[in-house]
Amino acid sequence: MRFFHLFIGMCLTSVALSQQIGEKNIQFIDYPDFPEGNSTWGDIGYNPVTDAVYIGVTNHKNKIGFYEYVVSKDQMTLKGFINELAHLRDFQWQGKIHSKITFDENGHVYFATDGGESREEYLMNHPHGYYGGYFMKWDPEVEEMTNLGMTMPYESIKNLDIDTQTGKIYAITYPQVHFIIYDPNTNTMEDLGRLGSAHVPRMTFTDKWGNCYYVDWRQRLVKYEKSTGKLVFARESLPAFEGTPGEVIITGIKSYTKDDAHDVIYLSTYGAKVLAFYPVKTGIGSVEELGALYDTEDIPLWKPHCPNMNLGLNGNLYYFIGGHGNYVKKDTTVMMELNPKTKVKKVVMMFPTSELSEVTGNGVRDSAGNLYFAGRKIRPKNAETPEGLPSIDDKVSIPFMIQFNPEKELND
Amino acid sequence: MIIREQMIEMKKRAWAQRYLLLMLGLLLFGMSDVSGQAKITQKNIDFIAYPDFPEGNSTWGDIGYNPVYNTVYIGVTNHKNNIGFYEYSVSNETMQLKGFINEMAHLRDYQWQGKIHTKIVFNAEGKVIFGTDGGESREEYLMNHPQGYAGGFLMSWDPENEKLTNLGVPMQYESIKDVDVDPETGKIYAISYPQVHFITYDPKTNEQKDYGRLGSAHVPRVIFTDKWGNCYYVDWRQRLVKYEKSQDKLIFARESLPAFEGTPGGFIITGITAYAKDTGSNKIYFVTYGAKLVELETQEHGIGKIRDLGAAFDFVDQPLWKPYIPNLNLGDNGKLYYFIGGHGNYVKDDTSVLMEMDPATLKKRVVLEFPTTEVSEVTGSDIKDKAGNMYFAGRKIQPKRKDAPESLPSIGDKLSIPFMIKFNPEKNIK
Amino acid sequence: MKNLLLAVVLFGTHLTAYSQYTFFTPEGSFAIEASLENTDMVRLPIYRNEITSLSVVGDYIIGGTSASEGLSPFVFTASLEERKMTEIFDLSGVVDGQQRIRSGFVKDEKGKLFAGTMPQNMESSGHLISVSLDKKKKIVVEDFGVPVIGEGIYALTSDPTNRVLYGLTYPSGYFFSFDISTRKAEVYKDLAPSEKVRFSLEDHFSVTAEDYLSRALIADDNGLVYGSLPYGILFYFDPKTKSLVETEEELPEVWGRRSLGQIHCWLKTSDGEIYGANRADGQLFKLNTATKKIKNLGKPIMMSGLAGLAEGADGKIYGVAGGYPGYGHLFSYDEEEGFVDYGNPQFNMVEPGIEQGIAWRGYQMETITASEDGKYIVIGEAEALSQLMVFQVK
Repeated sequence: MRFFHLFIGMCLTSVALSQQIGEKNIQFIDYPDFPEGNSTWGDIGYNPVTDAVYIGVTNHKNKIGFYEYVVSKDQMTLKGFINELAHLRDFQWQGKIHSKITFDENGHVYFATDGGESREEYLMNHPHGYYGGYFMKWDPEVEEMTNLGMTMPYESIKNLDIDTQTGKIYAITYPQVHFIIYDPNTNTMEDLGRLGSAHVPRMTFTDKWGNCYYVDWRQRLVKYEKSTGKLVFARESLPAFEGTPGEVIITGIKSYTKDDAHDVIYLSTYGAKVLAFYPVKTGIGSVEELGALYDTEDIPLWKPHCPNMNLGLNGNLYYFIGGHGNYVKKDTTVMMELNPKTKVKKVVMMFPTSELSEVTGNGVRDSAGNLYFAGRKIRPKNAETPEGLPSIDDKVSIPFMIQFNPEKELND
Repeated sequence: MIIREQMIEMKKRAWAQRYLLLMLGLLLFGMSDVSGQAKITQKNIDFIAYPDFPEGNSTWGDIGYNPVYNTVYIGVTNHKNNIGFYEYSVSNETMQLKGFINEMAHLRDYQWQGKIHTKIVFNAEGKVIFGTDGGESREEYLMNHPQGYAGGFLMSWDPENEKLTNLGVPMQYESIKDVDVDPETGKIYAISYPQVHFITYDPKTNEQKDYGRLGSAHVPRVIFTDKWGNCYYVDWRQRLVKYEKSQDKLIFARESLPAFEGTPGGFIITGITAYAKDTGSNKIYFVTYGAKLVELETQEHGIGKIRDLGAAFDFVDQPLWKPYIPNLNLGDNGKLYYFIGGHGNYVKDDTSVLMEMDPATLKKRVVLEFPTTEVSEVTGSDIKDKAGNMYFAGRKIQPKRKDAPESLPSIGDKLSIPFMIKFNPEKNIK
Repeated sequence: MKNLLLAVVLFGTHLTAYSQYTFFTPEGSFAIEASLENTDMVRLPIYRNEITSLSVVGDYIIGGTSASEGLSPFVFTASLEERKMTEIFDLSGVVDGQQRIRSGFVKDEKGKLFAGTMPQNMESSGHLISVSLDKKKKIVVEDFGVPVIGEGIYALTSDPTNRVLYGLTYPSGYFFSFDISTRKAEVYKDLAPSEKVRFSLEDHFSVTAEDYLSRALIADDNGLVYGSLPYGILFYFDPKTKSLVETEEELPEVWGRRSLGQIHCWLKTSDGEIYGANRADGQLFKLNTATKKIKNLGKPIMMSGLAGLAEGADGKIYGVAGGYPGYGHLFSYDEEEGFVDYGNPQFNMVEPGIEQGIAWRGYQMETITASEDGKYIVIGEAEALSQLMVFQVK
């Protein structure tokens, strides 16, 4: 089932709106057969081998539905629930998939699981406590989930990446911020230790050589240098706006997307700065500032919340701003377009938070140039709210996938 | 009192007479063949080594025959943290290490496994099922400790794709001492250690059901199934407990299994040590920890009929409940074969004996003997290939001499070398 | 026998290492086979025998059980002197539709036992029952009715001086008093967990009412009745003012686990001291009833949970701590010695058909009590087939 609920009125409320991009460029695609699924968080990825997008949808408690969207069929299917597919018992409950969903050269799907709950951290070693997060591998051909095991007991896995050449997995744990390398071929795991402070930066990403990047508590890039098997630390912190608070620094990078053709990785920090990062095979590489994510309202430049980023085939960056109660316009999520060459940006669409309240997902683009995000809408519950709608706390919370193409109409 | 003493004296004499006859037989027919029946010699038996795992020092009942692939599977352990998974191809007569359990199942160091203690069983498609075990003192005492035991896993091996699937931990901190599988539904039955919980697990739906604790201070090690997929165990009184599949519930025998007078409580609570099935007649033969051979005529509903087949060994002057027999196989000739001895308990000094027992006539005989330096302990239940070859998991223990090569596997201060035993009473297999 | 059993254990487990412990098997200890399926002997049937209430009157151990879903519990007796079960009494013969007797037994001024029941489903209600033995030592159960309609009775205590029972209901957590003479209940809802608190605990921490309602109540010498509120907050009921008071005192916390705070058990010693335990992490504490302050005495073992306490004739407090997903330990505490961890008790069980004796090891120990003279400590298991384990205090 799919639904279109963009409001033309809302689209026309900003003078900065793009002339070309409209409601026909975007569609929201529902997740079927899991009525209690109420959230997603960055757990989306595009598999070029199967031409499919994979998403993990959670009830934010103990059940995660694993979805496949086949692009050619325009079809979203629930493939199963993680606990059942991976033979987990009740005491191994998982709150969500918080990692990106990534792929090896053969099209095998990799992701990791997360406690995602208050009970995760505090109830360690308790019957109700969190056992720990798992690496998982999905084989789309035989539709089989393989449990690749845990990192550290009691720790969640907040993100992972894969070196497609060696098959090694890179991961970040929560809350102890350990950088882990795991080789599923040999079952060897290396723990390179704690890299963060009181917060776990959520994002890792790799370059074309299979090096992996993260940040330390000063928001300096940390690179796992594959050729030496060592961590290399940037000397300087990533650029930040003046006045950026410490807790925004320690949270690191929030979103990224790669331009493989030009060896550029675009990043946005938790401090709402957009950067172009030019990786090199050995050493850290260089960083170019592309300015603020959003600078048209009278709010601190470091403040906007943007946990998503995609790169269109047209070379422009697309990202949604807003979420977690932090919006640049009251009760409104805005979608931005930024040309990294000219550094010109504009609002291309706006949505009331009751239709789109938060968007995650990084670097998810299919071969036809469609961009994908994991979206969610939150609405207050009222007397007429049907009982069957998924909710978080006292609000209705409905997750859906966003398909977007700035240059093509997606629906009629 | 006088009558009782006289009876004991008579029994002793009878034992002495029987043993004299036995010794006479040994003199007449040589050490390896002690009766006038079909001659069984060293040519009927073969010992097959496990390659490529020099530190592998033990096995324990973790052997099974897969009719779909005509292969035998065995788990060999270093008794610490590494278990080699072996496949013996009957047609090629080759033994091959397929990999190590921890690596193939993506277990981390803190999920160390001491051994496979379960039998190795198969579902209808020939997928291999087994469970893992702490097998170490640190398992039980360090629960909830960083070096403690996380718990045993159920595992499934796909011989076609050579892939091991981790089917998860039934109970935290608990080992899995035995498993069986209902070939019709694919449901796995398991017994946990040390809390003796009987568990069913359906890998297709990930549904697990815990039927609770069934034992006392010891965990009877063996479960087995009948042709309908019902599963059998024992309670602390050595009464059969049956998981009645059609009702999804446990039913308990009213009476304990037969036991010799004087069998200590410690031997009662340990239950059954080995079994073998006669699928043609729906009979299951088993041996108790109290060294009694028993026939169970299984039936789809209810416990079934029990027949006492007598002592596993009664040729020497020692309590009838004492012999130690953690293995049993049924030959194509309808006779039971079992090795007696192990864990320091032998019916003859430093000797393991291979017995033949005819359940039809209740006659038994020693067919082969081995010094413990060659065969010190044998495990395995009901492992027979299509050609009638039977398989056991054997081990030999030898004192470490000064000139013993460092590379030989050992347990404590002794060399401990595991190997597979292939035996056919009716065929020269060498 | 002990050596033989050790040998058997070593046989079976194929151990070569030396054991690092001995089981707690004091002289004179024994296990009573309380549960056995398919027998004519006096035994409790499978899945209806978790010993969740336990007391001793004279020579008789009196137990109340909890059953699995859809099944009824029992009251039973066993003789300490004869070391055997003497009677089982199916509660459904007096009160139908009940599943658990988990409140523990409390005594009125004449020593009659009272307990509360939990229904099989919330369409029924929990009852107050009394349990006594007639002249022939046969069990007599009397139904005292439903104190709060639609609620089970989760915890119960008594003030023998005024013939009043005090209880806490499930799932709403209402406090009630019940006059034994008039059989009238008064219900106090002031401190019942709010919807907001319930939502937070259930949705964010995945705990249930079983995990945040006080599992036990206790009355001090002044008649004040104590229990815990969600997040381990101490409350008391003042019968003089007929009011519930939320104190500022909280149960001892292991940092971050406040949401699991819950009274697991109480003990009032012969000298009027009150000891309690926090289920969250199994801390033992002492309550100063004058100041309403708690002194944390620490944890006897690493695992969480401390299900029961009993006072022995030797002046020591004996308790059972830990449990699922691990297994419980028996421990003792006194001010001189502190904690002593005895690990798993393992006692000899001699019964018809197993006259030679078998070893019974305690894993999931749910209840513990002392004989009236304090010379016997009795432990009740909570298993599929639960047994009684008894040892003598020197």
